[in-house]
Amino acid sequence: MKFLLLIFKNVRRNLLRSILTALGTMVLVLVVTLVWTVLKALDTATTEKSQNFKMICSEQWRFPSMMPISYATLLRDGGARDAGDARPIDFMTWQFYVGTTDPNKHTFESSLFAFAMDPNKLMAMMDDLDSLPANDAARFAQVVAKLKANKRGLIVGKDRLAMIKKQVGDKFKLTGINFKGIDLEFEIVGVFPSGRYNLSAAMNDTYLNDSLDAYKTADGKPHELADKSLALVWLKVPDMETYHKVEQQIAKALGNANPAVKCETASSGIASFLEAYRDLIWGMRWLLSPAIIITLALVIANAISISVRERRTELAVMKVLGFRPVQIMVLVLGEALLLGVGAGVASAGLTYLAVNYIWGGLPFSIAFFPAFLIPINALWWGLAIGAGASLAGSIVPAWNAQSVKVSEVFSKVT
Amino acid sequence: MNQASSIVSVRHVHKFFRRGSERVDVLNGLSLDVLPGECLGLMGPSGSGKTTLLNLIAGLDTPSEGEVWVGGKLVSQMSEGELAHWRTRSIGFVFQFYHLLPVLTAYENVELPLLLLPLKSAQRRQQVQTALELVGLKDRMWHRPGQLSGGQQQRVGIARAIVTDPELIVADEPTGDLDAKSAQEILDLLIELRRSLQKTILLVTHDPRAAARADRVLHLDKGQLVTDSPVLV
Repeated sequence: MKFLLLIFKNVRRNLLRSILTALGTMVLVLVVTLVWTVLKALDTATTEKSQNFKMICSEQWRFPSMMPISYATLLRDGGARDAGDARPIDFMTWQFYVGTTDPNKHTFESSLFAFAMDPNKLMAMMDDLDSLPANDAARFAQVVAKLKANKRGLIVGKDRLAMIKKQVGDKFKLTGINFKGIDLEFEIVGVFPSGRYNLSAAMNDTYLNDSLDAYKTADGKPHELADKSLALVWLKVPDMETYHKVEQQIAKALGNANPAVKCETASSGIASFLEAYRDLIWGMRWLLSPAIIITLALVIANAISISVRERRTELAVMKVLGFRPVQIMVLVLGEALLLGVGAGVASAGLTYLAVNYIWGGLPFSIAFFPAFLIPINALWWGLAIGAGASLAGSIVPAWNAQSVKVSEVFSKVT
Repeated sequence: MNQASSIVSVRHVHKFFRRGSERVDVLNGLSLDVLPGECLGLMGPSGSGKTTLLNLIAGLDTPSEGEVWVGGKLVSQMSEGELAHWRTRSIGFVFQFYHLLPVLTAYENVELPLLLLPLKSAQRRQQVQTALELVGLKDRMWHRPGQLSGGQQQRVGIARAIVTDPELIVADEPTGDLDAKSAQEILDLLIELRRSLQKTILLVTHDPRAAARADRVLHLDKGQLVTDSPVLV
């Protein structure tokens, strides 16, 4: 206990230097926490699952896919034709509708991206929405019920809602951007739970498909995208064996179809998409993170080295009084640990609170991830980074401290 | 003088250092004895070896040859760990420049050596307060060194030296950084503590007035004793 007090008092000895070192540590831990948050989320998204996972069926040679809507019937059954064929547990089809509230000026803020889909699949198949906490799930189920009851209903993410300056209950018109000539009237029936859909929206697929049919009736010819409106089909399968069977069944059923279709697991689909960011992710993982941690260790090493140099005589006196070299070493390492761990945990904790509860996630747009939430494990990251960097940075100064010669006490006496 | 009755017995001690291929002899076959309760002054010019001798007796260094006995223990054969443990219990140090830790209060500075001993908090508190009372600084125990005068800081240093109740106090130029009045007070205090607590004091000094307060004075030159004044007590 007294040793801890001594460590604490030594850290307070030069308060300005300790505060600056702690602030430097906090900034660097903040950056590492943000980088690792993104990397961890991407790792999780691209990690293959072995049971109850989703597979994606999309057009083989074009992204985003523009498949005929007629493919949906075959794909949702996993290409099954016979009674003994493997079938998916569940399915979901996605069409994308992009519109703008300001037809004269298309901006990011005035545009809206909506998943056109069966509302029943929102809480059954959509990532994150299928695993909401009980209270959130109950609330969101009421919103989904409103969407089912209202063909023109629209669920919007909170950030997008703020961007287009609307609120729940508002009715408004979107001018089609990808489906030109398909302008739709919506009523906002609710908001997505805060998270990955903060910038997105969901609408009834029947509304889009009915509108495409109505376009044909009015214009006498089908819309140019009428037979290219299916973007993705999601299938949930129980295991890898079923996945391979379904993949083969679809290949057999649509083998000669044009456009060709490919199937892959959701995680490998995301991984394929992330290939475009491969160098960026590699740099974040293997250059940026290590460089920051090394910098952090150097910052701490510098501060502790100065501190040890300033009190070599004191350390020698302690040795004279009976302190063993290992105790001197523990004292110096303890000072570094107190600074590193304290600043690391504080930084990670503040980052967790600020990013998750004030900013609503880290807005680092990559792939399908509009924002990343700091995991609670970040507190451990802060502790581990702070402890690791402070230990690495203080080993040499601590070694120098423990090897101080007792003769330094008598250096001014001949 | 009889070795068996001595608290410190140095026998045929040699100490040399290597500077490259050159051997530098600091102590050359030196022998001496110190009686319990004696105040021994060590004088000599720079480079005479008195600090080296002090280090050997206090267990801060080991001789190249010869034996050093303190309190019946062969100090010259102890390992570094044993020496550290022994120093805490058996030797009290008083330094020229006090060497108090500036971040600690007078109380905490005096308590520092006790942290290395298996004592309960109440025992430590009792010993620290007693030591500070003996040096007349009980009313300043919560002051930091920077808030004390040189003489007061040296008193704290002396309290730190006696707080573990050691058998030998090693004082290295204890008045070297003090004005005449404070130096006189510190010497008075050391002599009084020797008398009341029956401590043995080894006093290294350049100051003839300080040496005059010792029971016996040894003069060193080139690593050897050149004079040994008679024992006064």
